[in-house]
Amino acid sequence: MDSRLLALVMVFAPLSLVSFGGGQAIVADIQYQTVEVHSWLSNQEFANLFAVARAAPGPSTMIVALLGWHVAGFWGALIATIAIFLPSSLVMYFSASWWHRNANSPWRVAIERGLTPVAVGLVFAGAVAVMRAMHMHPVGLAVAVVCAALIYYTKISAYLMFGCVMTLYAALFYFQLI
Amino acid sequence: MTAFGGGTASWTYRELADKRGWIDQNDFITGLTFSQVMPGANPVNLALYLGMELRGGIGGFIAVFGLVAPAFCLVILLGLFYNWLSTFPITSVLLSGVAAVGVGATLSVGAKLAQVMLKRGEIASRVAQAIIALATFAAIGLMQWPTIPVVAVAAPLSVLTALVIRRIHGHG
Repeated sequence: MDSRLLALVMVFAPLSLVSFGGGQAIVADIQYQTVEVHSWLSNQEFANLFAVARAAPGPSTMIVALLGWHVAGFWGALIATIAIFLPSSLVMYFSASWWHRNANSPWRVAIERGLTPVAVGLVFAGAVAVMRAMHMHPVGLAVAVVCAALIYYTKISAYLMFGCVMTLYAALFYFQLI
Repeated sequence: MTAFGGGTASWTYRELADKRGWIDQNDFITGLTFSQVMPGANPVNLALYLGMELRGGIGGFIAVFGLVAPAFCLVILLGLFYNWLSTFPITSVLLSGVAAVGVGATLSVGAKLAQVMLKRGEIASRVAQAIIALATFAAIGLMQWPTIPVVAVAAPLSVLTALVIRRIHGHG
């Protein structure tokens, strides 16, 4: 196998297994591995790919397909996607079967209660990692907080939100404020 | 199947439970919680869980493929589009706007999970969970320690703590 493809598998497959709480949980490490360790791309490029992945419908973990493409073209994208989804899906497959067979086990509640705080910590760490990678300015921070509140408290459409924020940014760009 | 915009579990629920009656509400909520705490992208895990619920292993595989394949194609298309657009300076400004929304979405997912965490179980269990969440965040978010060893320590420790607290409170 091409060494770059192998490197992609070595980076993403282990992270797949610790992505408790979803794709957001491992953004911090994906950024660290791809930008700092392997120097496949710059912080700014990473932040841009993160944005592209968020703008596309589908799991935000799809950023690995973009990173894979950036590193090794189509096969890179495909291999990276398999590396990020297969290991966690196998774990999910076997645990879901176990989950069904042991409906009353005390372990069930313990696992649910035990893994939730780890997921919470990871998700917030992921948000911080992206902010750090994009050197977020006060406007970005304010936008992030307002959006978080809107998503949390209302059922606002994601595309309406993207539209408003992009208009705001286009205006700021036009008046050379950012 | 492609309309899973990051975290629209409610939409899936509407399709599978309300419209088609394939699955009941309790099954769905169990699957959702389980999908969130297990490793893996939440929508993918949920698709796998529900697919298995409906048609066993094959159902799970088809559900995951049905979710990942279109998402893969779309993101690659958008990525190519981005390569073409990245020559304009405004592109990166607009994308930083999208990324800011993305960070906001991530924060709200964290807040929802934290709310679930802090609203159930005994006081001791809630305090323990809050401490573990803060420690995990500090280690990875602030100290920038690598995720894998931190989770390898925190996850088993956290599950054991939960088990011990339940024992003490006499739940078996």
